[in-house]
Amino acid sequence: MNIIGPDALVFGVDDIAACTEYLTEFGLKPIDVTDKGGFFEALDGTGVEIRHRDDPSLPTPLPTPTMLRQQVYGVQSTEDLDAIETELSKDRRVTRLADGSLETTDVFDFALKFQVTKRRELVMEAEKINAPGAPAGRAPNELGIYPGMPALPRTLSHTVLFVPDQQKGAEWYVERLGFVITDILVPAGPFLRPKANDDHHTLFFIQTPEYMKGIEHLAFHMGGPTELMVAGSRLARKGFQSFWGPGRHKFGSNWFWYFNSPLGTHFEYDADMDKHDDSWVARQAPMSPQGTQMFLFEWRKRWSPGPGPEGITEGEDTPE
Amino acid sequence: MSVEVTLPPLCRAKDVAEGQTLGCTVPGQRRKVIVMRHRGALHGWLDACPHYAGGTPMAWKKNEYLNGAGTHLTCHAHGALFDPETGECVAGACLGKRLTRVELRLETDGTVRLAKALEGGKTE
Ligand SMILES: [Fe+2]
Repeated sequence: MNIIGPDALVFGVDDIAACTEYLTEFGLKPIDVTDKGGFFEALDGTGVEIRHRDDPSLPTPLPTPTMLRQQVYGVQSTEDLDAIETELSKDRRVTRLADGSLETTDVFDFALKFQVTKRRELVMEAEKINAPGAPAGRAPNELGIYPGMPALPRTLSHTVLFVPDQQKGAEWYVERLGFVITDILVPAGPFLRPKANDDHHTLFFIQTPEYMKGIEHLAFHMGGPTELMVAGSRLARKGFQSFWGPGRHKFGSNWFWYFNSPLGTHFEYDADMDKHDDSWVARQAPMSPQGTQMFLFEWRKRWSPGPGPEGITEGEDTPE
Repeated sequence: MSVEVTLPPLCRAKDVAEGQTLGCTVPGQRRKVIVMRHRGALHGWLDACPHYAGGTPMAWKKNEYLNGAGTHLTCHAHGALFDPETGECVAGACLGKRLTRVELRLETDGTVRLAKALEGGKTE
């Protein structure tokens, strides 16, 4: 089963206008968005779909306040869809849609969809750096940063779910869908990657009481730590609420910056995540400040030393 | 004889319309104070979701603390809903916990102040 990772996440929200503003400012591109919702895509076509929570086209909600209504997984080919259908039909209803995609539910009743991936291949450069002892990353006179530089989410990276039994969840995704455990945070749960994706994780579980079941956060990959800092700073400067970060995780080595959102979950920018193959042996660490992070910073308005005793603080609407 | 301490102003009463919220910064404090007008009365709450010890900020954007229907204070970290009158969590991650009430004082000139100093939670 060559599952690549999340193509899309579908939400049933209670404030389409707020979510539209949020997703657009986060850096996703609205596609056919109206006052009834629509799709917001990253550069490779992955993204987030929103509808009003009462929209009858949405899959059944979980019995908790989570707004997540469906996780759409991209696979490599129709043969992969056939294999998933055969496997999951053994003990649950799997519906084949007209376009060949599959709809079903996982072991916790989260709604899932599988489709031949709609990701567009990205051909872009990673952040380029210069360092003594290494070949220059940038040509002479090529600048590292400039005002207005692009810093857009490139692809949907991963989903983190609150689940009532992380062990049961890990077993189900490993045994039924061929996911691999890359690392484990104790007692929260495992990081998982599907077979056709070498990212450290596309899925992570945090064990919580049943009434919290739902999505904890979702993340988009950025082109590097500078893009992550630039995108997050732009968001924070506009008054959006930082939750955690910027910082760098230990497991996965990815930079992170989480923001609150009107979709009842955190949206994360991440960058520079580790890649793994099947020779990797999973590590364990405690879910603690030391276990989860190499370092952590907190955003503030820009400040600089100046001629006066207080220095100079950035005003409202300061240009980049 | 008690010493009269002037506590910092949070906002002007007229700046908070019915069913609206403001996130007010308190000098030297890590957490903001949410001022909400609900059924005519002003309520103050610490901008600190009780899901995690110490509390985390609840808005999704400056001054935006409500759910879409405007019926509940909401933590936009995980979508927990709080009763706007009692601060009690009615659904979500902090079920059974409640927001910390902040006593407000309304001056005759319309200034809303803290009625007493906030405890703890100082800027780290
Ligand atoms: Fe993450």
